[in-house]
This record gives sequence, structure tokens and C-alpha cells, in this order.
Amino acid sequence: MVFSILVLGAPFNSQSAYSAFRFVKAALESKHTIYRVFFYQDGIHNSSAIATPPQDEFDLYQGWQDLQAQHSLDFVTCIAAAARRGLLDDSEAKRHNKDNSNMAKQFDLSGLGQLVEATALSDQVITFGQ
Amino acid sequence: MNQPKTNKILIVNQSAPYSSGNAKESLDLALAAGTFEQDVSILFTGDACYQLLAAQKPKEIDSKNLSQMLKVLPIYGVEKIFVDEQSLLDRNIKGVDHNLNIKKVSANESRELYQNATTVFRF
Repeated sequence: MVFSILVLGAPFNSQSAYSAFRFVKAALESKHTIYRVFFYQDGIHNSSAIATPPQDEFDLYQGWQDLQAQHSLDFVTCIAAAARRGLLDDSEAKRHNKDNSNMAKQFDLSGLGQLVEATALSDQVITFGQ
Repeated sequence: MNQPKTNKILIVNQSAPYSSGNAKESLDLALAAGTFEQDVSILFTGDACYQLLAAQKPKEIDSKNLSQMLKVLPIYGVEKIFVDEQSLLDRNIKGVDHNLNIKKVSANESRELYQNATTVFRF
């Protein structure tokens, strides 16, 4: 089965981001395909490069980054949702005249069209959050 | 973009207009889906009914007018817009902005909207 995943919750603040992470891992272990993971609304915070959870807690940020690298997954973060919440990659930081970027390189900033495309090309879209 | 099949997307809106970003961000998704020529329906239910009131004055809280923004939907090919009749009754909302061209639906009809959709997004 080809899945796409929509993540709407931020780590720590809601359980949904962690549940999404567990679902993606389980789906891959069961030989399903993850076409895309799309991060929207507060879910964009999952792609932070600078979030630093306490050392005795599970680091979901690092978890996503490792999972992406391990399976070459397509992680897309909504560019508009990210910009209004203070998450920018290098080129967006430059474009908006900000001193710093703060997005992990395992994620790509793009538009909602990527979510629409994923719904058309996947058997199922599973939403986590809301 | 590859050649996607035409999807039947249902966007269910349950949030009051200015209490969170849900109204704006669900509208953004509807516009994107319309732009990519998907078959999109929108259902307003619960407190989302308040998004449909005419004469909103959100300037006083430095917000953009949501019912004005909803008016652009048909330009993007999104014309199937529904509101749950019971939600309106529960809130004693007598009329929605008539410029929005919204169809009232019963509980049975909204169930059909869910059944006919290939993907449902809730906000």
C-alpha cells in the first residue's frame, strides 16, 4: 500500500507527531511505501534544526531526520505555514532578509500542491493531529 | 507534477473563524486543491458556521475578513460548499452570507459527502 502522511501537530505539544513517526516506521517495516510525509500547521515544527529536547527524553526531531536519511523519504514542510511560524531554510531566510535559518536539511520547503499531489498518488492519506 | 488521478477531496471545517489558524489554513488547502483541478467539496460544521456570517468586522482585531476570502473559492473551481443545517440551528444562526452560495445539508447528506470522498481533511 502507498501511504502519504499529513502531520499537523508539533512535537511535545501533542502526541500526534510522535504517533505519525511511529506509523511511518511501522509502515516501512511492513514493506509499505511512504510516498510523502507532509508537515502542515503546527506540524512544521517537526522540521526544526535547533529544537533541543532534554537529554533523557526521546528526540523526535532527530528521529525524523534519521528516518529520512535511512529510507530517503520525501519530507515536505509547507512553506507558508513554516514562514508564519518562524521556520526558514537558507534560501527563505535570505529572501525574507533574516539573519538565520533553522530548518533541518532532511526537509524540503514547498507548497500545498505537494499535499494535493500526494493525495492523488497515494492509496491512503493518514492525518495525525487535529 | 506527475499525472494524478482526479481525487475527491472533502475538507471539513469545524473551527470558529478567528480563534485559531484553522480557518485560514483549511482555505489555503482548498485553494491549492482547486488550483490543481481536484474535485473539492467543503463542509462547514460546528463552530465553523460562524465563518459564514455576513458583516464580520475583523479589522478591529487586525485580522483579514474570512467570509471575504471564502468568496474567491469559485474562482479556483471550488463550488461545492456545504453547511450542516443542524449546526446552524444549534447556534441560532438565521442566515449565512448569501454571497457565498452555500448549500445547507442534513446529517444524511453530510454522511454522503464523507462516503463519496476519497480523502478527507479536517480542520
